[in-house]
Amino acid sequence: MGGGRGSARRPEPVTAAVVLAGGALVYGENEALKSELLPALAEGRLVPALAWRENVHRAELLAVDTRAEKTARGVRISGGKCLVVGGASADGFVVSAQGPDGLALYWIPAAAAAPGLSFRELPDGRPVADLALDGVEVADNQRIAGPGVAAAALTRAFDEALIVTSAELLGVCTRALEITLDYLRTRVQFGKPIGSFQALQHRAVDLYIQQRICRHALDDVLSCLQDPELQLDVRSALASRIKARCADASLRITRDAIQMHGAMGYSDECDIGLYLKRAITLSMWLGGADVHRRRYAKLALRELAD
Amino acid sequence: MNDDDFRMEVRQFIEKNYPTELRFMPRRPRWREIKPWVMQLIEKGWSAPHWPTEYGGMGLSPGKLLIFMDEQERWGVARAQDQGVVQLGPIVIRYGTEEQKRTLLPKMRTYETIWCQGYSEPNAGSDLASLATVALIEGDDFVINGRKIWTSSAMDATHFYLLVRTDKTAKKQQGISFLLVDMKTPGITVRGIKNISGSTEFCEVTLDNVRTPRRNMVGELNQGWTVAKGLLGFERINSGSPRRAAFAFNRLEALARERGLFKDAGFVERYTQLHLDVADLKAVYLHFADLMTRGETLGADLSILKILSLETYQRITEFMLEASGDLGLTVHAGGDEEGVDALTPFLVARSGTIAAGTTEIQRNITAKHVLNLPV
Repeated sequence: MGGGRGSARRPEPVTAAVVLAGGALVYGENEALKSELLPALAEGRLVPALAWRENVHRAELLAVDTRAEKTARGVRISGGKCLVVGGASADGFVVSAQGPDGLALYWIPAAAAAPGLSFRELPDGRPVADLALDGVEVADNQRIAGPGVAAAALTRAFDEALIVTSAELLGVCTRALEITLDYLRTRVQFGKPIGSFQALQHRAVDLYIQQRICRHALDDVLSCLQDPELQLDVRSALASRIKARCADASLRITRDAIQMHGAMGYSDECDIGLYLKRAITLSMWLGGADVHRRRYAKLALRELAD
Repeated sequence: MNDDDFRMEVRQFIEKNYPTELRFMPRRPRWREIKPWVMQLIEKGWSAPHWPTEYGGMGLSPGKLLIFMDEQERWGVARAQDQGVVQLGPIVIRYGTEEQKRTLLPKMRTYETIWCQGYSEPNAGSDLASLATVALIEGDDFVINGRKIWTSSAMDATHFYLLVRTDKTAKKQQGISFLLVDMKTPGITVRGIKNISGSTEFCEVTLDNVRTPRRNMVGELNQGWTVAKGLLGFERINSGSPRRAAFAFNRLEALARERGLFKDAGFVERYTQLHLDVADLKAVYLHFADLMTRGETLGADLSILKILSLETYQRITEFMLEASGDLGLTVHAGGDEEGVDALTPFLVARSGTIAAGTTEIQRNITAKHVLNLPV
């Protein structure tokens, strides 16, 4: 997982392009399309983006309103997607739509998508795209996955993106904590480094504990994923478990990091604020902690169904 | 024997022999309650799993020790008055004279002598090194005066090991010695202390001119702090075991079923959070258990496991109490009323972050020795 990343020409988020969109392609069933797109993706010459989310409060991965109506040569896609990470300079989009026979995934090249694209900015400074689909024509040979395969392909790519994002969030936790500890050791007030004050020491320990929980929970999840007989629901539950944990922990650590930096923490020129915004962005992407705890409960807690 | 076979052997022995009515006791058992079980362990040669075989122990590797502990916790086996075997035995093995080993260890292992620990004092809790129970040398004896408190199971003990001050002029850790005392010695008074959960486990022990022979000192004079300090890896990891939290969560599920709480979305949200807290706590425990199994030393960061484990346990019992509500107020262990007892686990859990090193002290240790924050 995460292997085979190329060096992208443009600073696109690797997870969104390779793991999420690339994953959907890989787990799809269109071998010809894979031969055409995947080598270029691996070499960084092609950057795809996955457009799954629609403009509803509780977005469902597998239940979408975007429709793919049958035409002579393929389908015509109508609907709208939002918050497409990596969409700003994507070479093409993997789009989920309710097809003639069920959920399906389609490849829409950038040229065809361009008329419907608009952009907004995420807290961490990256652009994010919204994609209006107004009768976009897609040929049959551009269908990535049909009913029966699409749901599984999408879910698997989604779960893997959750896990890789969790690892990224762990990195945010670790670095934010390091920066904060350095600050505590060096910032002097009242004639002492502020890290000698017990209130801050205890608070720092609590943040350290959160980081350690993320680290060991991620190890545990990765270890469980090695099981060759792993069931799909179990994999999804593991992915949601770790996303929820890392989302919560990273927000807590970066919030407290701001506090412990005092006024400097609140200033834009101080780096620590970037970590908070990064934590916010990555935590919410693909669903925040509450979304994933709910998903976990549905998948893993049998007692709720009784 | 490989680990899986060993685990099965331990499990089968426990399931076959451990008294059902003593499973998952909400309090520490009295000696008379747990004695039959301990006698079975002794007969099997299993009463001192971590002692070297030359002293009658099982000589278990760290990995197998963890399995042994894990299986007991899984079945809800209560801990007996085992401080002698668990704490004092290894201390005597490491620091004792040959004569001390010869006279003390066999009876310790067979529970002919039952030991209690005298460390804390009314004015020396977290600041244990400031202890003031004094021992003066008079001829061939030490004469001890002072008070010890929070002494677990002193009312069942036949013997007592304690830290005393033997040099008031030295730096506080450098003036402490480790002594052994027979509980029948004149001058010893034991008073049980009832706790808020209703049980009496801890005691206050007053020592009024209590004499013990000088040969009952373990280690050198004024070296008692070093002697007492070396806590065993598996004891340290034991206090951070996720079993308490897991068991409490189990009771929470039982309460939820009893009251139909899974229909309440708000309840389900917090229940799910706690479920995940237990799962991730187990992942942290596993990290340290794996280190131990590989024979590596457990560092100062083990403190985070104790903090996390006991605070998670508390959070579960807090939520359980809340969910149990007013209807649960009259249901308690040993009472007549049917239902899941939320009150007793809640009260018992309060001690978890206090005993064996408060979580504040654990945080101090972590800040200084793990995060290298300035003092």
